[in-house]
Amino acid sequence: MPEIIVDNLTHTFGKGGKDALTVLEGIDLTFESGSFNCIVGTSGCGKSTLLKMMAGLFDPTDGEMRLDGEVIQGTDRRRGMVFQQDAVFPWMTVRRNISYGPRLRGAGKAEQAEAEAKWIEAVGLTGFEDRWPRELSGGMRKRVDIGRVYANDPDILLMDEPFGALDAQTKERLQADLLKAWNASKKTVVFVTHDLEEAIFLADKIIVMSARPGRIHHIEEVALPRPRTEEMRLTDEFLQIKRRLWAMLEH
Amino acid sequence: MNNLSKFLSGRLFLGVLSVALVFAAYIWLTNRPDNNPALLPPISDIIGSFRTNLTSGSLMTALGASLFRISTGFLIGTSLALIVGCLIGWYKTIEYLCDPLIEAFRPIPPLAYIPIIIIWFGIGEFSRVLIITIACFMVCVVNVIAGMKNVPQVYVDAASTMGASRFQIFRTVAIPAATPFIITGYRIALAAAWTTLVASELLAAQNGLGYLLQEGRRYFLTDQVMMIIVIIGACAFIMDRIFRMIQARLMQWSEARE
Repeated sequence: MPEIIVDNLTHTFGKGGKDALTVLEGIDLTFESGSFNCIVGTSGCGKSTLLKMMAGLFDPTDGEMRLDGEVIQGTDRRRGMVFQQDAVFPWMTVRRNISYGPRLRGAGKAEQAEAEAKWIEAVGLTGFEDRWPRELSGGMRKRVDIGRVYANDPDILLMDEPFGALDAQTKERLQADLLKAWNASKKTVVFVTHDLEEAIFLADKIIVMSARPGRIHHIEEVALPRPRTEEMRLTDEFLQIKRRLWAMLEH
Repeated sequence: MNNLSKFLSGRLFLGVLSVALVFAAYIWLTNRPDNNPALLPPISDIIGSFRTNLTSGSLMTALGASLFRISTGFLIGTSLALIVGCLIGWYKTIEYLCDPLIEAFRPIPPLAYIPIIIIWFGIGEFSRVLIITIACFMVCVVNVIAGMKNVPQVYVDAASTMGASRFQIFRTVAIPAATPFIITGYRIALAAAWTTLVASELLAAQNGLGYLLQEGRRYFLTDQVMMIIVIIGACAFIMDRIFRMIQARLMQWSEARE
């Protein structure tokens, strides 16, 4: 089963130079197979850097990461990523965006159509199959992004503040829909955010990081039952966790 | 009323209006009693010259020769620019290798090559097409490189985390993302092709639109000169329109289609 281990990882930008900046130091983490993990922390704690290294977009200066015992090096379809910026290809319709991954591997027409039908429905874009991305709202483009990664069937889903640029209502709806999709597929998710409420609502485990250099400050196991509901956001248990984590980020 | 004001401020009406105004001003100038028709021939003379050259066949021969040179030079020049530009823009090593060359040759106007081309290859058809090819290549390659360098990183990262190979990213991400730049490069190359065509034909040619211009000057046929200028303008205009149609079709996805 896909499990990610981060082993004594340190990253220094411009190592050896006089402007060297250590953004991550001595990170040890285990992301269990099928779990939903959130990484929170103030800006500058290196959470996005950590995620991009897990995706293989660049290598850490020290330490390593392993997926099922295999050292992570370079990008791979097993580790899919959703970015904070809009990464939907504007030159492809919604449909073509969704089936991009299968097409990379030479999927035939029928197989592409199957992936399109399945994931367009799953992310709630029915009726928008043949629209250009420019015709969609920001929230809908995010749905395309998520559907495209899911249709590519990775083992691990890395999400870098994917809902950071959306309004509060759209954000809550997308969080609920993301949990639905996750429930159906049980992929391991690592989700970076600076929004505590988002983290508590989504995660099994919340990793709190401190900044400069980024270190693991605290790991919170979220015991809220699943499926999570909107009402839970206002329960004492939820708010207690929020208060506790909030105090940590303020320290 | 609303529809009328919309029409009056629209592209078609205003475009026709500006052409009509220039036309009217020209007719007014040529009808003044102090006008010298040898310098500013009346429209009727220009049309007369058009008829004469059309019936004698010389206009069609010239147009055919020029269009052949333009299209050959344009196709070869832009195709080379597309290949070389993509390689330079996408592969760092090739960029480091070729960038100084491109930057050094870029400011040189293509017409400056005419003397050396004549020395090396004479004044034949090959030389004329070569000059147009160089002109098209130089203006186009710069745009292709710029397009390749401006591919947003997030698209590259997205494709790469979905398992795309470097070549797949090039084909499915870099090329489409660079399309707006590439099309602009092609359009500028087309304009450059016309400029260099006439210049190369003025220098040494036995046919072509530039040759007819030269002939008009030599025998003081101002009406013929005017006629050729209008023909060249019309051809360039039509070609650019065709290009815009292709552009609109290729760029349906873009927010900035116009």
